[in-house]
Amino acid sequence: MARNKFDVDETLESPFSFAHLKRASVYIRRHRYKMLLALLLSMFASITGLFGPKIMEWVFDIAVPNEDIRLLILLAVAYTAIVIIGILFTTIRARIMAYVSQDIVYEIRQDLFAHLQKLPFSYYDSRPAGKILVRVINYVNSVADMLSNGIINTILEFINLVVILIFMFNTSVTLSWMVIAGLPVFLAVLMFIKPRQRRAWQQQSNKNSNYNAYLAESIDGVRVTQLFARQEVNISIMQRLIAACKTAWMNAVKISNCVWLSAEIISTLVLILMYIAGVYWLGGAIVSFGVILAMGQYVSRFWQPIINLANIYNMFINNVAYLERIFETMDEPVVVDDIPGAVELPPIRGDVEFKNVTFAYEPGINVLENISFIVKAGQSIALVGPTGAGKTTIVNLISRFYNLTGGEITIDGEYDISKVTLKSLRSQMGIMMQDSFIFSGTIMDNIRYGRLEATDDEVIEAAKAVRAHEFIMEMENGYYTEVNERGSRLSAGQKQLISFARTLLADPKILILDEATSSIDTKTERLVQEGIRVILKGRTSFIIAHRLSTIKSCDKIFYIADKGIAEAGNHDELMEKKGLYYKLYTSQLQDGAKPEPLVV
Amino acid sequence: MFQIRWLWQNTDKKHRVIFIIAMVFSAVTSAALLINPFLTSILVDEVIVAKDTKLLLPVLSGILVVQVLRQGLRYAMVMMLESSSQKTVYNIRSKLFTNLQYQEIRFFDTHRTGDLMTRMTGDREWCRHCMAFISYSVVDSLVMFVSTLIFFFFINWKLTLILAAVAPLLLKVTRDYSKIIRPQFIEMRERLSEMNTAAQENIAGNRVVKAFSREEYECGKFREKNRNFRDSNLHINKLWLKHFPVIEGLANFMTLATVFLGGFFIIQKQLTPGELTIFTSLSWALANPMRNLGTLINDIQRFFSCASKVIEIFYARPLITDREDAADHPEPKGHIEFKNVSFSFNNTKVLENISFEVKEGETLGIIGPTGSGKTTIVNLLARLYDVDSGEILLDGCNIRMWKLQQLRGAIGTATQDVFLFSDTVDGNIAFGNQGLTEEEVRDFARRAAADGFINKMPEGYETIIGERGVGLSGGQKQRIALARALATRPAVLVLDDTTSALDNETEKYIQQQLAELPFKCTRIIISQRVSSVKDADQIIVLENGRITEKGKHEDLIRRRGYYCETYALQNDLPVDFEAAKAGCE
Repeated sequence: MARNKFDVDETLESPFSFAHLKRASVYIRRHRYKMLLALLLSMFASITGLFGPKIMEWVFDIAVPNEDIRLLILLAVAYTAIVIIGILFTTIRARIMAYVSQDIVYEIRQDLFAHLQKLPFSYYDSRPAGKILVRVINYVNSVADMLSNGIINTILEFINLVVILIFMFNTSVTLSWMVIAGLPVFLAVLMFIKPRQRRAWQQQSNKNSNYNAYLAESIDGVRVTQLFARQEVNISIMQRLIAACKTAWMNAVKISNCVWLSAEIISTLVLILMYIAGVYWLGGAIVSFGVILAMGQYVSRFWQPIINLANIYNMFINNVAYLERIFETMDEPVVVDDIPGAVELPPIRGDVEFKNVTFAYEPGINVLENISFIVKAGQSIALVGPTGAGKTTIVNLISRFYNLTGGEITIDGEYDISKVTLKSLRSQMGIMMQDSFIFSGTIMDNIRYGRLEATDDEVIEAAKAVRAHEFIMEMENGYYTEVNERGSRLSAGQKQLISFARTLLADPKILILDEATSSIDTKTERLVQEGIRVILKGRTSFIIAHRLSTIKSCDKIFYIADKGIAEAGNHDELMEKKGLYYKLYTSQLQDGAKPEPLVV
Repeated sequence: MFQIRWLWQNTDKKHRVIFIIAMVFSAVTSAALLINPFLTSILVDEVIVAKDTKLLLPVLSGILVVQVLRQGLRYAMVMMLESSSQKTVYNIRSKLFTNLQYQEIRFFDTHRTGDLMTRMTGDREWCRHCMAFISYSVVDSLVMFVSTLIFFFFINWKLTLILAAVAPLLLKVTRDYSKIIRPQFIEMRERLSEMNTAAQENIAGNRVVKAFSREEYECGKFREKNRNFRDSNLHINKLWLKHFPVIEGLANFMTLATVFLGGFFIIQKQLTPGELTIFTSLSWALANPMRNLGTLINDIQRFFSCASKVIEIFYARPLITDREDAADHPEPKGHIEFKNVSFSFNNTKVLENISFEVKEGETLGIIGPTGSGKTTIVNLLARLYDVDSGEILLDGCNIRMWKLQQLRGAIGTATQDVFLFSDTVDGNIAFGNQGLTEEEVRDFARRAAADGFINKMPEGYETIIGERGVGLSGGQKQRIALARALATRPAVLVLDDTTSALDNETEKYIQQQLAELPFKCTRIIISQRVSSVKDADQIIVLENGRITEKGKHEDLIRRRGYYCETYALQNDLPVDFEAAKAGCE
């Protein structure tokens, strides 16, 4: 699996098409009645606006020549009324559209976020977090206007265009054709620019994403950077990335701005041609003088919507680059998901059985082959063996973080884990992984993450069981002390104790501890073991650890090597066997230390 | 307004000039907007009405030239603004990042990643927007409004004065609106920052989320932030739409007043019909700037609130910096001394009266319970934090008198919480020492017992590893972190619980390697395992921020304290202190 790093652009496979917009229509359709209403309001506002010039005509043609002040005031009142109605309509439209655009953003963002929750570890493992983040926040913000006002305005401008066209053709068919003749030229320019423009904006979004990735990484890794006094190197990397952003941006706007520029120039050329033709034809009595005047006005009124449309189009092209990224993420396949008709796993006893389990992260390279074992409810199992042998993989398979390549895993002898819902499966397991993660918030909230409905007392109970209570109480606000992941408030061992408490609080039937106590000192660990012994009674546990004291007390020990279980048995049996485990155990004892009481 | 001044300060000379030229272009082109309507009126009166084709081509070419020039200048202006704003934003970004890199760790303890990200992306974007767009929009509107007003004044000052009377009213409305809307924008970007933080943490903690199958809960949590952000946006929109009718009404008043008062003036013989035509045909030039005003105020206020957030971290000054009289230490030796060092964090004592000395080339072992302050010793030594009292000497010189770069360069730390960058294995190992050859990288990896598994990776040393080393096992990450520390060939090598996730054989191998490093160094080994520290020249036991035991392995075993107990636990020896005591008596 190819990983992406901060300074590598992500390639995008799908070609540009209005398919993206079509896809976005799912979101738009939900608001179609509101949008229709907004459209109607806008049209009404324009129609009432048409009465304005009429009233002015009366002012100049009737009221002023007749010196009729009463009529003048009357017309003023009428005009004011029209203005007020127009403003009212516009305001209501703006309010409706604010709701529509905000709702669309809200929905896309929520869907994107929800989809991200379902994506496998490998998705997160294969790209910098900043690149995911920028999609959820910045990109979604960018597409808001396009999907709401952009669409309404497009329709309005098209209607405008059609109305003007009708007026134009009514006035002079020949001159109208001349005015329209500019359009293909403009479209040709647009077609020429489009692929370049699109590439330029994609490039820009790539560079922006790279910047985000490195920024996020630099913030999270700042301690390492400072310890290694590497700021200068990082700064020069960052400068390279932001210089690339700058270049990409300049490149994109250089092209994009050509769109309005060419529209303005072409419209002027058309206007001039129209005048020349009109005046020369005028001599030939083909076109009357009033017609030219009117056409002169129509030309600008014809091209204004086109220029507006060109600007909207520009916005579309820029933002489609973002939309693509959003949909690309939403299309990311959910590898591990509930199968159709998955059943709820009822409360379990905790038997676990592996039947001929084979697993490969990448096809063809098996990490585990044909593993079979049965663990009875309430047993504790230690997994030992060299680093990279697949211990973590085995425990990850139990909680179905990955799908098996072959074989099956059953719980309580009857439930295939691939056929039950993930939520019902994982909520009965307590998994503590190698990296403990602390959410920003209070310690209380962090522990309660294990069981959201737990009372404060239950949280404290769990903390006491893992011997975290003492150090928590020493902090200035006790359980309500604010902590965060990057912060140096907590030592690595303390973080582990908090995540341990969190896992215990979940009240799991099957407990999985993956080097859960590696940073905890031996004495505390011993105390923790005593503290949780009662709690864990009757629960199945899988423990990966290096410390002998932890391993020894387990009911069964699996020595994992060569894609399978090389040795299995309890401590005494395996010591008897004098095989791999024996070697591991004896090597770990201090040289010269003999198992006899330490009495002087 | 200091936000604008700040933006200007960060624009270099060349781009200031470019910016000013662009502003002039903006003024000229917006005033030039009045030329073509004027030419068109000539065209109509002199050519079409008079049926005289003599002037047709000159006027038309005039229109074309004006248009091409105006639009050309417009394009040049936009590009100049883009270029100067990009350069300024580049400067700001670069300085912000630099400043962030040198902030002390305390700063990062209190600022969430998502919040910093918001400042450096969304907020910074508004600084660009201000320079590239708001600037010329203001000039455009202002020039158009004022020049039209002046033009009108010369035609008929009475009518112009009445029209101008709207201005104070408009100013009042917009001032009131500005005042109301500003806190709302501050609120909105706070919501944005919260949402950003929520998403960022969710991504970072995705493993825990899955482990507890908290996907729905996370969605709910995010939904709240998402909704708050939306509501905040809608609230601003609501306030805006309360003021919009007034502003729009005033803009329309321009046309209204021109036509009807104009009509009235004509009746009163105060105005000629020809003059009124000019007024009515140009009334848009007064109304449009007024219309833009509302949008501009929104933009400006948003810029102010965003820029303030950027400025906050722009001027954040770390307390831990090089002193001016810092001495030069080109060749650090690695003699460390802690003298009565105390340190507390948020009023909680972390270390108290710590004193010890490690001579050049010696090894110090530190052992002690979770949270006893072991890592803090390392943090203090590298000056990630400054001590509250007491002093730390390196090579006999207080570390406050060292240059930070040299101090930290002298210390190579294999951190406990392994953070790796999304880079190749090779790049990660050479993190602190860019000049390493491929051979040297391999050599250090070999010493850290990492060469074996790295070679098994799909692309060996060129394999890209994820942020935080995701995808690697705990033991693999630790070994890369160790290689990274060794690669700097430090005078002081610090191993902060570096072997906790390693099996014993690997640890033994590493210990052997550490004994025969190709460079001289003082070692500080922090560990939970007695086996890692027992051969040290000196071992200290840290409990609750105090040194409770100090000495060599044999001494500490004899003391029957924490060390001895841990040793016994780890070696499966029965601990029988009571019997031991009895034996002594």
